[in-house]
Parts: sequence; C-alpha cells; structure tokens
Amino acid sequence: MSAIAMDIRRNRLMMSYLIVAVLLVVLAVAGGFLSDRFLTWRNVGNLFQQLIVLGMVSLGQTFVVLMGGIDLAIGSLVSALTVFLANFLEWRPDLVWLALPLALVAATAVGALNGLLTVVLRVHSLIVTLGMSSVIFGGTLMYRKEPGGSVPRAFADVAYAKIAGIPVSAIILVAIFALAGLWLQRTRSGRSIYFVGGDREAARLNGLPVDRIVVLAYALSGLCAGIAAIFLTARTGVGDPRIGAALTLQSVTPVVVGGTILAGGRGGVLGTFLGVLLVTMLNNLLNFVNVSSYYQWVIQGLIIIIAVGIHTSRRR
Amino acid sequence: MSSSVIELSQIEKEYPGVKPLDKVDFAVQPGEIHALLGENGAGKSTLIRVMGGAVKPNSGAITYLGKRVSWQSPKAARAAGIHVIHQELALFPELSVAENILVDAQPRGRFGLISNRARHARAAEILAQLGVSIPTHARIDELPLADQQMVEIAKALVGKVRLLILDEPTAVIAGHEVDLLFENMRRLRNEGVGIVYVSHRLEEIFEIADRVTILKDGQVVGTAPVGEISREEMITKMVGRRLSQIYPARRAAPADGPDILSVRNLRAGPRVRDVSLSVKAGEIVGVAGMVGSGRTEVAEAIFGARAVEGGVIEFDGKPFPRRVPKDAIAGGLGFLTENRKDEGLFLGLPISANIMAPDLQGITKYGLIDRSRERVLAERQIDDFSVATPSPDVKVGNLSGGNQQKVLFSRWSRIANRLLILDEPTRGVDIGAKVEIYRIVRRLADSGVGVLMISSELPEIVGLSDRVFVMAQGRVVGEVEGDALGEEAIMDLAVRSIERHKATAEEIA
Repeated sequence: MSAIAMDIRRNRLMMSYLIVAVLLVVLAVAGGFLSDRFLTWRNVGNLFQQLIVLGMVSLGQTFVVLMGGIDLAIGSLVSALTVFLANFLEWRPDLVWLALPLALVAATAVGALNGLLTVVLRVHSLIVTLGMSSVIFGGTLMYRKEPGGSVPRAFADVAYAKIAGIPVSAIILVAIFALAGLWLQRTRSGRSIYFVGGDREAARLNGLPVDRIVVLAYALSGLCAGIAAIFLTARTGVGDPRIGAALTLQSVTPVVVGGTILAGGRGGVLGTFLGVLLVTMLNNLLNFVNVSSYYQWVIQGLIIIIAVGIHTSRRR
Repeated sequence: MSSSVIELSQIEKEYPGVKPLDKVDFAVQPGEIHALLGENGAGKSTLIRVMGGAVKPNSGAITYLGKRVSWQSPKAARAAGIHVIHQELALFPELSVAENILVDAQPRGRFGLISNRARHARAAEILAQLGVSIPTHARIDELPLADQQMVEIAKALVGKVRLLILDEPTAVIAGHEVDLLFENMRRLRNEGVGIVYVSHRLEEIFEIADRVTILKDGQVVGTAPVGEISREEMITKMVGRRLSQIYPARRAAPADGPDILSVRNLRAGPRVRDVSLSVKAGEIVGVAGMVGSGRTEVAEAIFGARAVEGGVIEFDGKPFPRRVPKDAIAGGLGFLTENRKDEGLFLGLPISANIMAPDLQGITKYGLIDRSRERVLAERQIDDFSVATPSPDVKVGNLSGGNQQKVLFSRWSRIANRLLILDEPTRGVDIGAKVEIYRIVRRLADSGVGVLMISSELPEIVGLSDRVFVMAQGRVVGEVEGDALGEEAIMDLAVRSIERHKATAEEIA
C-alpha cells in the first residue's frame, strides 16, 4: 500500500473528504450525461454564484458544531437581516456603507447573545437557539408581514459581479473559508474550539477560557449569517421575513456531509466546503433535469442520513 | 477436552495495523473460575468480545458446549447462556432494579402486557438466589456501585447462564463489597457455571481463581492452575521482563526547605470540612482515605476548579489568589485528574494537541500556532515519557490506558514545574505501565517538583510516598511518615476516625 493511501486510511477526516470529493466528481459526470447544458461555463459560473449563501451559513454552523453546540437561529436571523437591509436601503439607498456594517454588527451581537445565554443559563444550545429563532422570526413578522423593500442597483450588482469570469462572491467565499481553516488549525482560539467541543470539562481543567470560546463560536456563526444575508438581499433585491426559514436545516447538511460530527470536536471547514459544493451542485442538476423542488428536499434529507451513515459505519 | 463450556482454538483477529488476537487457545471448564491476566492492550477485551459475540474473529474456531458456533450478535451469545459483565455497567439508572434485571425478559401477564407484580416477584427471586437484599423497587442510581454490580450479575441469572464473564469487576468496589462479589462467584462456580475473570489485581487472582491464562501482545504466554504459578512468574510473563522492584527508592533524607504548598483549615463544600496539609519541593506526599472522603475535592479546590469557602491556600509562602485553573497553571501547578477520559484528555485529538493544550501561548508566534515547534516539543515529551506511538499525530483515543496516562504526564510535567497533583495516577493501568509511572513520578520529584498524590491503592501510597496525609469525611485525620509509614497505620487512622465520628453522632442523638 502506498504511503499516501496509508495516511488516508489513518486519517478518517481525510477519508471523509475523499468520499465527498468522489461523490462530487460522480455527480458532475452524471450531470454531463443527463444534460448537455450542465457542464457549460455558464452553468458552472451560475453554480459558483449560488454558493455564497449556503456556504456562509454552513461555515457558521461548522464553528458551532465543532464547539459542541448547534445553532438553530441562523435561518430566522438571515430573514430578519434581509428585511432590515432591504427596508433600510429603500429608505436611504445612499447609506449602503452604514447599512452593511450595521447588519454585520447586529448579526454578530445576536450570535454572541445566543452563546451568552447557553453559558449563563446552562441550557442546551438546541433550546436557546430554538427560542431565539422563534423570537427573531416573530419580531420580524411584526415589522413586515410580506416581502418588501428594495436595494440600489449598485448593491444588487454585488451579487452578480465577476472578475475574469469568476463570480466575486465565490472568491470571497473561498477566501473566508481559507481564513477560517487557518484560524481553526493555527490559532489558540481556533484550536480551543476543538478542545471545547471534544471535552468541555477537560478544556476547563486545562485552563482554557471555555465560556469565551462558546460565545465566540456563536458570535462567528452570527457574523456568517450576516454575510449570507447581505448577498441574499443583493441577489433577491427584497427583504423577505420567510426567506431564511429553510436555511437553518440546510446549514447542517454540508457540515455533517463533510464529516464533522454533531457531538463536536472533530471535523473541519474543508469538509463543509465540499459539502456545500455537493448540495448546491445536486440541486442545480435536479433543476436541469426538471425535478420538482419537493424532490430536492427529499433527496437532501436522504443525503444527510446516508452521509452520516457512511461516516459512522467507518468509525466502527 | 470436550467437557469445556467454551473452547477457543487458534482465534485470530486483525484490524488494520494491529492484531489484538494472534492464534489464541483458551478454554473454560464448567465449575471453574478462570482468570484472564494481561497488560492493557494485551487482547483481553477483544477476547471477551469474541466469546460474547460482539466481535467476529477473522479465523479460528469457537466450540461452545460441544458444538461449533459462530455468534452473529451478542444477543445470540446471550441467548445461548453467555453473559458478559463489562466494566461500565449496562444499566438504566432511571429505572427500577426489577426493570433492569428483567430488561429483555419482562414477564407478561394478561393481554400480553407486562405484569408489574410478576416482575418484582421474579426479580426478588433472583436476588434471593444471589443472597443479597436489594429492594426491587429501588432506582438504580440510588444504589451503591456494589449493589449495581449485583444487579448486573442478577441479569445473568434470568436465563440459564453457562458462562459468566466479568471484566475487572473490582475496579469500582472495595473491601466488604469485594468479599460479597467473590462469595457469589464461588456459589455460581459450585453450580457448574464457567467463569472468566479479568483483573489487574494479582492478589485477587490468587484468592478467587482456579486457573489463570496470561495474554501478552495478543498471544497466550502461559496457562496454569493458580497453585502452580508464583506471583513473580505471573508478572514476568505478563510484562515480559522481570520486575526486580516495583517502587523506586524513596528520598534518602526528608525534604527540607520551605513548603511549596501549604493548606490550612480548608473548607470547600460538604466534602472538604477541615483540611490542612503541606508539600515541600522534591517530595511525594500521599493522600489516603476511603472513596468519598473528600480527597479529589481537596485537589480541585487547590487547583481552582472548586469554590473555596474558607481557610488558606499558600503557594510558595504567599496566599494564592487564583480563582480558576488557568491561574493555577500559570503558577506552575498541574493536575492529573482521576477520570482521564472525561476530564483529562481530548480523545479525538492527536497526542501533540493533547500535550500542548494548556500551553498554547507557548507555541504561538505572531498569533499563529507554530506547528513544527509543537511537533518538536511533543516528540520530545513522547520520547521522555516513552509513550508507545508511531507518531505524535495519533489520536489519544487509540492509545492504551497506560499510554494515555503517560500523555497526561507529558502534558503536565512541562508546565507543572512547582507542584503536580495526581489523582489516582495508575487507575485502569497495567502493572508494566504502573512501574513506569512510579519512576516518572519519582523522577519528577527528584527534579524539584512537589507531588501531591491521591490514591485508593494503599500499596502504591505506601510504596511511593515520602509522607502521607490520611483523610476521612472531609478532614485530614492524621499524618504518617518515616518508619511508621505502612498500610496498617493508614487504615487504622482512616477507620478509627470514622468510628469515633459515628460514636459522637450517636451520643448527640
């Protein structure tokens, strides 16, 4: 057996990545056969343009899951932010420079609040973020029941801008993922996420600032939701109080498909990135072959179950 | 030997890179207590799993009650009369004793519904058979560990048990409870049950077992009637080398110089009522006492992991203003926790990350972790403490208990240059690793570190410590040192003070 194969065998995470990568290739080839428009530059460009929203929320979810929690407030938060952005920009289109940072700060603050609540109340993150999700959703509906607002043209263009044929949003996404990977692997706070997720009590007895790390993970998840909301608003041009509803669960799919385990402490952002690619490509392909979006839901659910099944069966 | 309950021949099991069982022959006769002895990683648990149907061997034959069998699942093995009692008990803490005993054989009454009355009657019957009186309505988590273990044994008696396998049953119980367990094992033996008994404790094997089989590196290195093999031979076979001496030499002279740690009248929660003790540089100070006497809680209070209500903790002669473990670590303290899997190690992370966990700032340059430096440091520690691993990237969860413990020593010895607190440093570790750990502890002390060692194993306390504090019911009840240091003196202090306490309580009442 070659050294590389040995290495992959030893490293389960690498193996997870490999499986997802192979699935990606299989899907791409299958797509090529099923539709002659699938593997065109135009479609690939489209596909990459679609990555950013799912990519960002999944990245945020990755931080929280690695730390040993789960963030169910992501979808409501994104919805609320699109409503805020679209309505703010309709009112003062010239204040884009203010609206965007404001949205990011608010998003981070909500995330941090989630973290603080789990730390202070010692309530499971599932409950805290579920409650928070409901509060945000209700609050948004009180303010706007229907989609509304508008965005200036220049801002909308952000979603579709390209450099040398490559969507800017995809470049930003890759850059953010690379930074996130570096942060997780090579910094104190990043690695502490793994420590806290691996064993919270052990982390405490090793002198790590556990509570701060928990809050940090949620705050980052909030920030990621903020970035996702900005691109989503730019793309759709409106603020929709329900647009993010599906995102919460969708954000979990790439994380688990990418080999990060829900118990925390094991996994990484590369897996999530591949997972995002896989899910997005699959949905794109299903659109091409005219499969209704209902089936897309079914298939996405099956993917979660099968992926986790594969990952855990190899662990035995 | 067709009369065997179970006979394994040439059993092999292989995983990528490891071979836990290599052509193992093993047989248990009816009415025999057969001890299975071996270091951690010798293949004992795999062998148990093969017999219990949880692991399928790659090759070899299992003959059970004269017939070739190949278990498809643990359930099949159990149905055939093989019952395994694992170290971690498989009980439902929220359910009653009766429900637990009859977990897979709930008696049905009318309409096929479970009959509560029949259940309790049947459970009581089985418990009576064991000669223990445990209320069948009690919830499992209300029971002491020893009773929980009896419930686990009672489960085996629901069906017809032919082979009972006990994996280190005495790891969690002591004294009188062990006697009760042994009594029941003998009773079952006399009824013709074959018993496999796994333990690290050689004394117990001499007391209870008829035969012993010794495993080393997945191979059987010896099997003999207990009367025909000496303790020394057993250890030599198991470890593969002769143990001239288990404990390293004590300090030649008592440590002088000022105290590194001085604790006076410490109070912290219900289990730490009045504790005074001290540790000097280069000294190993033992803390003995019954389980529940408050030893671990004292360690936690010193380390900043438990709130202090009163008293003084002085470190290097100065009051120690630490509040959280982080400050203690910064001050040169280390704490090897009792439960390494839940409170010490990150099992899913590599050895290097585990070693460096409390000292990430030490390897951070320009805000980034310097991975080559991390590796160098980790490799140095791995060499220094002879952790058996091919690389620092191996996940700690894949190491044996002894090696995990050595990883903890590698971690803390770097940082704890003043005081190291050890809580049950050799729990669940085989004798070979124990000896290594004793040498590590002594070496650390010789380098000038003060060591505070909590242990339930008296031979270890007596063999290793320079001085011993004895605790009972949240108080330090005495100090033993020098020539007086012996197991009797310690037990005497621990027990006498409990009795005195009881007497006073009765007087007041």
